[in-house]
Amino acid sequence: MTSIITNLLKLRETRKKIVGCLPLYPPMEIFHSMGLVPITLWGLRDMIRSLDESDRHLQNYSCSVARRAAEFILSESGSMLDGIFAYNACDTLRNLPEILSNGLQDAGRPLPLFQIHIPMAPRSQTDAGDYFRNEIFSLIRRLEETFHISFSIDRFQDSVTKYNEVRNLYRRMENLAASGKMAFQDFMVAFRDSGFLAVEDQIRFLSGEVSRFLKKDPKQVKHPVMISGILPPPLPVIQAIGAAGLRIVCNDIASLGRFYGYSPDLNSSVEQYYVDFYENHIPCPTLLYSADNRLGYLLSLLHDTSAEGVIFVGEKFCEYEYFEFPYMEKRLKEEGIPSVLIEIAVDDEDNIAAMKNRIDAFAEAVGQNEGR
Amino acid sequence: METGKIGAGKHLTRIITKAYMDLHERAANGAFVVWIAINVPAEIFLGFENVVYGVPESHAAMNAAKGVGVTQCVKAEQLGYSMDLCSYARIDIGCVSDHGKDSPSFGLPKPDLIVSNNNNCSLLTKWFDVHHRQMGVPHFLIDVPFCYQPQKEKDREYIVRQFKDLIRVIEEMSGQKFHMDRFCQAVDYSIQGVALWKKFLEFADHKPSGITAFDSFVHMAPFLILRGVPAFEEHYRLLVEETEQRIADCVFPVPEEKYRLFWDNIAPWHQLRKMSSRLAELNANIVGATYTSCIGTKEGSFDLFPFDGTDPMHFLARTQNAYICPHGLELRKQAMAGVVRKLKIDGIIFACNRSCKPYSITQMDQQKHFFNQEGIPTVMIEVDHADARKYNEENSFLRIEALLEAIDAKRAA
Repeated sequence: MTSIITNLLKLRETRKKIVGCLPLYPPMEIFHSMGLVPITLWGLRDMIRSLDESDRHLQNYSCSVARRAAEFILSESGSMLDGIFAYNACDTLRNLPEILSNGLQDAGRPLPLFQIHIPMAPRSQTDAGDYFRNEIFSLIRRLEETFHISFSIDRFQDSVTKYNEVRNLYRRMENLAASGKMAFQDFMVAFRDSGFLAVEDQIRFLSGEVSRFLKKDPKQVKHPVMISGILPPPLPVIQAIGAAGLRIVCNDIASLGRFYGYSPDLNSSVEQYYVDFYENHIPCPTLLYSADNRLGYLLSLLHDTSAEGVIFVGEKFCEYEYFEFPYMEKRLKEEGIPSVLIEIAVDDEDNIAAMKNRIDAFAEAVGQNEGR
Repeated sequence: METGKIGAGKHLTRIITKAYMDLHERAANGAFVVWIAINVPAEIFLGFENVVYGVPESHAAMNAAKGVGVTQCVKAEQLGYSMDLCSYARIDIGCVSDHGKDSPSFGLPKPDLIVSNNNNCSLLTKWFDVHHRQMGVPHFLIDVPFCYQPQKEKDREYIVRQFKDLIRVIEEMSGQKFHMDRFCQAVDYSIQGVALWKKFLEFADHKPSGITAFDSFVHMAPFLILRGVPAFEEHYRLLVEETEQRIADCVFPVPEEKYRLFWDNIAPWHQLRKMSSRLAELNANIVGATYTSCIGTKEGSFDLFPFDGTDPMHFLARTQNAYICPHGLELRKQAMAGVVRKLKIDGIIFACNRSCKPYSITQMDQQKHFFNQEGIPTVMIEVDHADARKYNEENSFLRIEALLEAIDAKRAA
């Protein structure tokens, strides 16, 4: 049994209502503060091997994130859920709620859907603050009506503190990996094992892991590199990166660094918190308004961590990422920073020989770049 | 099947050629040039004295229809853009990479401002970002909330606010003033033209149909690049009058029409002539398409959505979710069911299009719905709208012929 299922069963035992959130960056704290348990439905690679249910609804040229989330919800595992949340994360994910709803209806277990629209107009162009505040209030109202619960700013403050602690622990782990005290693959195992836990359990688990690895001796860093993409590559690929003499010292991965990279404090109200949360989020191709900030962010991250190259992990069929790769590669090249693109599709993790070759060739390029 | 251009066809060639020539000429003479997504309200630009607009999507479709789609795609792929990306985007990026070489219109003049929106697809904003970075041109993004139910007032107000911000940005950048009366006049021309467009599509009600969907694909070009001007309305008036006369004269595109089919997805630009001819040989006619039926409507229905004469800005915002991709599965089914019944459709072709995931993603559920709930035979074929390499004619026709057999079987039952 995978850790995900074990964790999910533990969650179920709490008898709290579980809301399955479609990726990428749902407002987790709201759900938690209202006594619900939010889980973001990605990182399902180890749990979901077949896509039978998803394939009845989605074409095989949908990305693995959408296909696995759909499979999770439409298969038996979805019966653990009490609701689904989605926002306009991408063209696929904005269409998914109704497809899932139809599938669940057919399966005789309809679930309430909760949606908000996160404004994508650049803030310098259009002030969407009022619009977005209204979206947040509407979500809270709908949750209150559906689950007969109430929102409290004090509980929200408590949730913000807890989620910030989780993000902080992930950042500390990343630093441990960068310093060589923790292998990046150990970080990934810890990240996976902390998924689908209640936030309080996540804090306990991650704190233990941080303490454990703090005591370790750092290993020598040969060639520090960054990984960038939607999901981290599968563990065998991470191992191949290490075996090629490279160490991942920072990441621009949507489910990792982009997720935990920024955590605002709660200074005023719930709506202002999320205005800050999304406005100042780590740039991501799916947050359309952040596009102009992305290159600068990547370059500063590379500078701060002394990373010598970038491995772009292409999520097959994620056009948001693929539209940006050529530009990023070109600009990095101009800065003298080598990069490589490896593509991960649904079935690719069982066949990584070609990726290993690319990683080896990239490691050579990074090595040759060292003397420059 | 009758081939060769009729009067409206010749008129179309003339006005489209003139539109591209005027665009280049006015740009060369100092007009403020905007590149826009197809459903950005073009009427806004006509509210200015000297602002012109080019439409990369329409230009890409023209490249594909004229047989140079693959040539342009390859250029983008050589720059590192994946073959999985939208073929319109690849054509456009490829075309820009060598300043319009191989384009039937010599490309589009360099923009001063790029205006995208995310209602059809958010990816379009990523595509326009490529130009924004490459050319160093500002990019204005109109954010249109996706809708699962009819568009809400709060969303409409948000869209209107962005239209007003766009006007302010153009005023600041171009130094020109926006004239409400010019804008209203442009909206008026568009409304008249769109009403005639809907009338044109209604000729498909006739048995045999007075038109094919392929006619509508070709004649939607003015809607994309000539909204808001007299030529827009004039063209559709000519098209309606001519089609009306042809029906009166018993001239039909598929005279022995046996199968009335419906098309779901973007037009297969590289296959228009081939596909329509081959279908006609089978006495089959695609008489309608979601792609062209959605023009002039609002989400959930393909009926004309009339302007109530009050606030044109509000009206344009109200129709921003009309174009299939900006709304969800239930609204798509609702609109399609209405037109399928109205046109007495025998079978539906779902064109599964890797290049347009937002259009395609709901199709598996739609297909099940129309077969199971509406009792209409359907088929799904793989077609890329502009990259001919991703289309296999024989495989597709094998499936289409199976659809026709299924229709026969249903009739015989």
